[in-house]
Amino acid sequence: MAADRLQVDTIVIGGGIAGMQAALDLADQGYRVALVEKNPSVGGKMIGLSKVFPTLDCCSCITTPKMAAVAYHDNIDLLTYSEVQSVSRNEQGFVVQVLKKPRYVIDDACTGCRSCELVCPLDLPDDANEFGRTAHRVIYVPFTTAVPQKALIDIDQCVFCGKCLQACPSDAIDFSQLPAFLEIQARSIILATGYQVTRYDAKKQYGAGKLRNVIDGLMMERLLAPTGPYGRVLRPSDGKQPASIAYVQCAGSRDETLGVPYCSRVCCMYAIKQAMLLSGMLPLADITIYYMDIRTFGKGYEQFYRSAQAMGITFVKGKVARITEDADQNPTVRVELIDDHSQVVERKHDLVVLSVGMLPGGDPQALYGVPTSEDGFVRIPNYNVAPATTTQEGVFATGTAIGPMDIVDSIVTASAAAAEVSAYLQSHYAAGSLTDAERSLIHA
Amino acid sequence: MPDPTAESQTAAAGKINASSPAGAPRIGVYVCECGGNIGETVRCEQVANALGKLANVTIARHYQFMCSDPGQKLITDDITEKGVNRVVVGACSLFLHEQTFRKTVERAGLNPYLYYHIGLREQDSWVHHECPADATAKAIRMMSAGIAKARLMQPLAPVHLDADQRVLVIGGGVAGLRAALSIARRGLPVTLIEKSHFLGGHVAQWEHLFPTDEDAAALLEGLIEEVIAESKITIYTGAEVVSTKGYVGNFDIRIRVQPRGVAKDFAAVDQAIAACPVQVPDEFNFGLTQRKAIYQPYVGCYPASPVIDREHCTRCNECLRVGQNGGIRLDEPPVEIDLKVGAVVVATGFRPYEPFAGEMGYGEFPEVITLPQLERLLATNDRLEWNARPVRRLAMIHCVGSRQIEGMHAPQPDGKVNDYCSRVCCTATLSAANRIHTRFPNVTIYDVYQDIRTYGRGHEDYYVRACKNGVTFLRHLPEEIPEVIRSEKGAEYPLLVKVKDRLTWGEEIELPVDLVVLSVGIMPSPISDLVDMLKIAPGNDRFLLEVHPKLRPVETAVAGVVLAGTAQGPMTVQESCAAAEAAATKVAVLLSRGKVELEPYVAQVDPERCQGVGECVCVCPQEGAIHLETRIENGKMLRRAVVTAANCNGCGVCVSVCPSRAIDVQGWRLDGFEAMVEAITAETPALEGVA
Amino acid sequence: MTTQLRTPVCKVLILATLSGGYRGADAAGQSHLEYPSNSYILPVRTAAMFPPSFYLNAFQQGIDGIIVMYSGTDSPYKGESERTAKIINQTYVLMKERALDPRRLRLAAICTVCVRPFLNEIQKMNALLEEIGPAPRGLPTALIVQAQSAS
Repeated sequence: MAADRLQVDTIVIGGGIAGMQAALDLADQGYRVALVEKNPSVGGKMIGLSKVFPTLDCCSCITTPKMAAVAYHDNIDLLTYSEVQSVSRNEQGFVVQVLKKPRYVIDDACTGCRSCELVCPLDLPDDANEFGRTAHRVIYVPFTTAVPQKALIDIDQCVFCGKCLQACPSDAIDFSQLPAFLEIQARSIILATGYQVTRYDAKKQYGAGKLRNVIDGLMMERLLAPTGPYGRVLRPSDGKQPASIAYVQCAGSRDETLGVPYCSRVCCMYAIKQAMLLSGMLPLADITIYYMDIRTFGKGYEQFYRSAQAMGITFVKGKVARITEDADQNPTVRVELIDDHSQVVERKHDLVVLSVGMLPGGDPQALYGVPTSEDGFVRIPNYNVAPATTTQEGVFATGTAIGPMDIVDSIVTASAAAAEVSAYLQSHYAAGSLTDAERSLIHA
Repeated sequence: MPDPTAESQTAAAGKINASSPAGAPRIGVYVCECGGNIGETVRCEQVANALGKLANVTIARHYQFMCSDPGQKLITDDITEKGVNRVVVGACSLFLHEQTFRKTVERAGLNPYLYYHIGLREQDSWVHHECPADATAKAIRMMSAGIAKARLMQPLAPVHLDADQRVLVIGGGVAGLRAALSIARRGLPVTLIEKSHFLGGHVAQWEHLFPTDEDAAALLEGLIEEVIAESKITIYTGAEVVSTKGYVGNFDIRIRVQPRGVAKDFAAVDQAIAACPVQVPDEFNFGLTQRKAIYQPYVGCYPASPVIDREHCTRCNECLRVGQNGGIRLDEPPVEIDLKVGAVVVATGFRPYEPFAGEMGYGEFPEVITLPQLERLLATNDRLEWNARPVRRLAMIHCVGSRQIEGMHAPQPDGKVNDYCSRVCCTATLSAANRIHTRFPNVTIYDVYQDIRTYGRGHEDYYVRACKNGVTFLRHLPEEIPEVIRSEKGAEYPLLVKVKDRLTWGEEIELPVDLVVLSVGIMPSPISDLVDMLKIAPGNDRFLLEVHPKLRPVETAVAGVVLAGTAQGPMTVQESCAAAEAAATKVAVLLSRGKVELEPYVAQVDPERCQGVGECVCVCPQEGAIHLETRIENGKMLRRAVVTAANCNGCGVCVSVCPSRAIDVQGWRLDGFEAMVEAITAETPALEGVA
Repeated sequence: MTTQLRTPVCKVLILATLSGGYRGADAAGQSHLEYPSNSYILPVRTAAMFPPSFYLNAFQQGIDGIIVMYSGTDSPYKGESERTAKIINQTYVLMKERALDPRRLRLAAICTVCVRPFLNEIQKMNALLEEIGPAPRGLPTALIVQAQSAS
């Protein structure tokens, strides 16, 4: 039974890879952690990816054990489908009000058997996970590897036919469920609020999202993933297997006109990775990457770039000026070929992927009083030496909340945040602001 | 509400069962219907009835929801009332509820490893939906395999090792300092050793840090002050590891500390330095200047007292004559200290790539320097001059010693080229270019590059600013390496940089310049002895290798040895500090309880069967996990394999090669698998009547 | 024994690593994908622990096809993948010597969400067994003992 008041050492906001790692690192040291995730499952953006660079290992194989670990850890209270409503300070740190959204399914009773899905008569486009490419029922378990494996109902779309009620073997359906409020007393806060991708329809010159065969990198991840909608790569307009695929780099980064002047750090590598996976799945396809600078800076990344070149992926230096389409909805790319006497050419492809960048996942100012820098990411005053400490005492930030970064760097900075938080907690407990007896009471 | 008396009884029973064998098998078997998920396909009652007839099965039940509280109570009641001492549950996937049921049996006083889980839902009812009879028959076989395994199961206990909480941090650069500070603040004692006689590493040599535009000296000073103030940190400079023994939680490490040769309170520092007649290139300024054999690298260094450079000291005793008897001792021997530590943080850092003689004119023309040298030049001079002539035009060339291509670039002595990107040089180069522009606005700057990699937070600003500052960028292809040549006699500028510039239609451009700056890459510090002693491994790029870049990004294959900073690969100061803090966290997870708990799934040798052939030792991929020991028994010399549980990860490679079946992985014994195969293939009478 | 009639006659043993194939099998289950019920999946910690004699014994006891579903290069254990491949190759030699069709033993890298590759492997093995029938039994024990020492 969920208590309506919880006392923890740290509350982690965001159950993506960074939030999960920080929670696990602290819980493994014996600290009590509450992990709050606004979506119905933990896993963040990472669980939706296909294979990950530079090792090309299966993404879900790396994410799912961590998802299970946060769900079953004795020191972690996992609150999914929950959102922070307000935060205030008191002598013991912070009082955080959390709203647990109703799933209309009783958590403790649901076994994730999905019998309800079989009988539910209504399909909805799966926007959250598949960009509307597939459907889920009105009552559904978010995705195969979701944690927790519990159903929820999209109550706005439900016609209350009652079929799930009859089908559920454990009487878990509860149409009258109300939002629940939970008060968490936390000594510290970690913001792991992640990122969103820059909008692929933002740029007029790239078709403003109206060209059907122009998609973004995250959509391509789903097409490539073994858990993806079709199980193979098909282009949206006609379901044709593309024979010529182009990547447009910096489509949403290093672009003052979009208000994103910075480099998003991951796009070069994910484009190269996707190109490699595509050339495995579609051996006859031509794959071209149009770039300004190839930024394969990380450990093993330059070697990864070289092997992509050796595989026959074409790299063309040049910023794409415009994308249009012909009568068959084939996207045409207008680009200046800088390495080829800067001639301006138009090239037709079957599918164009915009390598979109990263924007901050949220603004922490209102709830947490944490200011952001000009780039919109959390401001870290002592960035070089204490990369997780914000301007607000007791509030830390990690992962892509503090700037674009890849999975490796997110995991490392998450562990770094855990170090800064544990040092902060130790200084409080050692300074006698809590006696051992009080501490044991908290954790009783 | 549970009865408190019952609780204490079961707790006591748990203790007994964990250490003693569980007795003759009395197996409780439970078939979960999972609502209709299993029950609608598999006839659970029939399965339970069939299994109830098998040997050693004390009770076989079926129930709607085994994972529910009443379901779990069935199990705990059977353990306490019917003397069940092994439990097999067939339910959903083991990934969902194996842990749940292990805790259930433990609550009832049974060793949690006397539990076996069968995935009847994901691997039977859900995949054989169309033929309930087949699914039922398969359930019986799957469950009887579990029962066969259960008959052979033995109680297991996690391997607990007492651990020393002290941590050794090797390297006193920014990563080592950061790691030491974080570990100490977590409450663990730290010994920090630095090979040179001063803390701070390479950061001390930079004047300026990106992306914060802060003063590097101030950052370092702040960090060192915090480290010194931390009572849990013991610092040795001039110290190196000379030997290591042991394993996670229990390392015995001997360090050798070289004497400074100068007393802490020695006052006549300036006079002694002035008196020294020796002149050697000053490594702190990358050889741009000279220093004495008694020296301090820079003002504000820590420790502040100077040191005698024993390699270059001629023992002329001139420094001794400046007074303050006993303040300087040239003949002090090094001291060896034995440390007991639970974990080791390797923060041995990097060295800048040293171009070979003639590479882009380096060593051939005095007007070719490296970026680190330029940094020292900027830090120590008010004017931008080289060879007493003002620098009017300057070319900076990227990727020297990075992104090298085999066959085109000369290999390092080990035969390999540096095919990696050094990550920090692009932003560092542009940062220097912008500072030059600000301080010396009339200097013309050319930037010769392949790709500008200003990837990090705030890095792109340096690129944008450089463009606004009028830096001229020239881009070449990787295979069209620029050349640096001497200008014709009498030319206005001493050097020419030849670039085939792709930004101007591939034109061959000659840049006349006063100075060429090579943006050299990063290479790991030479630490092969330490690598051998710790039994860790470098990767193909010679940097130290992590276990897995995502699962365990700062841990090495040796438990208890973790990586911090540029020993692992090129990193910025921020990335080094983040990695160092991550290393601190891993160490804290390992040692904060003073005990290391390891899974019981480690290799175990049956000394009765072992013949001491040593095949297991040959194939074991884990350093220090298994070795042969010789002992005398009844006047006979016997050789037996011995497992060091702390180093074994239970990979089982040894099991496959043992000629006498004397070794097994606990919990995953080969005989258990054989029994399961036998049960699966048996013409079991239990199947009769299934239709 | 009516069940014997309905179930395919041959039995397939699948050794599936917890970090790979076993999760792949679970994923197939979560997708409710049907496959023949003659396959028995045993979770293994690592595939590298089984000596050739284990496989020979299993064929001897009544298993007709074995698929080792390991994690390939994604294995969390250093050397597991190489060692497993080596053992399987050794076993092939011993199988040929004993007139066992080596195709009865397959090594496949199956990841945690490799549902299709998982089903493919099972289908391929069943197609093969339909073609070549049950494994020949009644090997002299001596040969098995010999295999034991050869491993």
